[in-house]
Amino acid sequence: MQYVIIGSSAAGISAVEAIRTKDKDSKITVISDEKKPLYSRCLISYLLAGTIDEKKIWYRKDSFFKDNKVDALLGVRVREINAKNKEVILNNKEKVKFDKLLIATGASPKLEDIPGIDKKGVFPLRTIDHTIEVQAMLDRVKSVAVFGGGLIGLRAAYALKIRGKDVSVFVKSESILSQIADKGAAGIMQRRLEEKGIKIFIGVAAKEITGDKSVKGAVLDNGSKYACELVIIGKGVSPNIEIAKDAGIKTNWGILTNDYLETNVKDIFAAGDASETNDIALGESSVNAIWPAACEQGRIAGLNMAGEKEKYQGSLAMNSIEFFGLPVISVGITRPKSSAYEELVKKDTAMNIYKKVVLKDGVIVGVVFVNSIENIGVIGALIRNKADITGIKEIILDDYFDYGKAIPLIKKSKTGFKEQEFKETVMTL
Amino acid sequence: MKKIYCNIKKCLGCGSCEIACAVEHSRSKKLDSAISENPLPIKRRKAEFIEEGISVSTGCQHCDNAACVAACMSGAMYKEAKTGLTQHSRDKCVGCWMCIMSCPFGAITREKLEKQVVKCDLCPDRNKPACVEACPTKALSLGTFKEFKQLCNM
Repeated sequence: MQYVIIGSSAAGISAVEAIRTKDKDSKITVISDEKKPLYSRCLISYLLAGTIDEKKIWYRKDSFFKDNKVDALLGVRVREINAKNKEVILNNKEKVKFDKLLIATGASPKLEDIPGIDKKGVFPLRTIDHTIEVQAMLDRVKSVAVFGGGLIGLRAAYALKIRGKDVSVFVKSESILSQIADKGAAGIMQRRLEEKGIKIFIGVAAKEITGDKSVKGAVLDNGSKYACELVIIGKGVSPNIEIAKDAGIKTNWGILTNDYLETNVKDIFAAGDASETNDIALGESSVNAIWPAACEQGRIAGLNMAGEKEKYQGSLAMNSIEFFGLPVISVGITRPKSSAYEELVKKDTAMNIYKKVVLKDGVIVGVVFVNSIENIGVIGALIRNKADITGIKEIILDDYFDYGKAIPLIKKSKTGFKEQEFKETVMTL
Repeated sequence: MKKIYCNIKKCLGCGSCEIACAVEHSRSKKLDSAISENPLPIKRRKAEFIEEGISVSTGCQHCDNAACVAACMSGAMYKEAKTGLTQHSRDKCVGCWMCIMSCPFGAITREKLEKQVVKCDLCPDRNKPACVEACPTKALSLGTFKEFKQLCNM
């Protein structure tokens, strides 16, 4: 058996680990366009901030490939997948044969199509190389413009503020964090960021990046100008699906797969930020480009490549961030778009505490908690298992709500909570 | 794999397990001094009354496919190959709270100032976990699931 994995971040690495639990000896080849993978992409903003030691970013040992008997082709891009001949063709024209292939090509930052975007000093913040480049120029930077008020933009803004820069964030949407939090939660986070000196401008986007070779400023779409030496573009990511598409693999926003994460082409699997899966809360296909989903999909794809028959239960949007000691976590749908949803909200403004759950037909489909985050995972489990929450609806936002309180309904559930651990905890009830 | 089980039929929700856990994970490991430590030691179990006839003590289930391990972006949360336990490395933890976001049992707690998390580690310095030893009704036990079922006559 010859396994080939394209991509060596969360999904690719998890797949290697999963394959090796079932198959100790077959050849695994990992192909990555990054020269030094095995770092945690989510931690690069921590590295930029200087709040973690550089060694913490390496989330697997240097010897990972050797320990797992992986042939790692690094700093190499895949040019083409030839599904018929079962081989991938690299940009150096070398060919690698496979019996089972995993496409874990990840996602690329969306860059804006505006004049000046190619100037020196304009960065997305996606790779460790971006981070190193930004760090190298920080001495010369006084002011930073961040375009985008999502996770990537705000994490960059936070990191650069901690590094002592004058940071302004320009957000086109109606609030920051519009993809992952509702207005209530976003408002509290915005206040905290502003209290700590980050300037936030809502409803504004970049029209042009100005300067000679290097950035000297930005022209905004409201006509005003902003002088800065560094521009961070945090406009989200889009799945890297081109090589899959060219190989005749079905794609939509991302690469499409069946419940076993196999694409429409036999023996070719997909996982991670490049793939589109069934979203449990939405009840429809969606790209959830997040670390936990990539790891889970990588694990399941790896097992199935090694001959198992493990079903993927679907993905769920979830994110956790903390700025200046104030954490926010969200799972599932936090900004319902129709009146079919019910919202329960509890807040304690003085304590910066905000809790909201979103229900549809008596089932929780989303949750967002600010500053009181313990036990949010229990609500995540209720979402995943589509639990009927009759009987605990009144207490679900209380501080003392926890797993114990859900035990009676877990015992009663006929359709969800199939994992052994749930059964064990309710067996004696 | 050996882990801690709670027999709901025997649990009173008295909280002895919580206190024993916090003391075991304190600096002094003695109740009288642990209560005045700053920061206070953190318990990794929760004992409570749910409704008439139901009390329970819960903590980390050391899940087979641990969601906290999949979610951990720094490699701090990991499965120990030899024992099957879910373990946490303080050296690697960055305090991103992804494990808290993912744990279906709410068994992970923040250590806010340290930017770390804590969870049940089955008391590595003891033969028997402190909570199991402290349980006055023997609702808590350490063992395999098979042993737990035998103990409960199920």
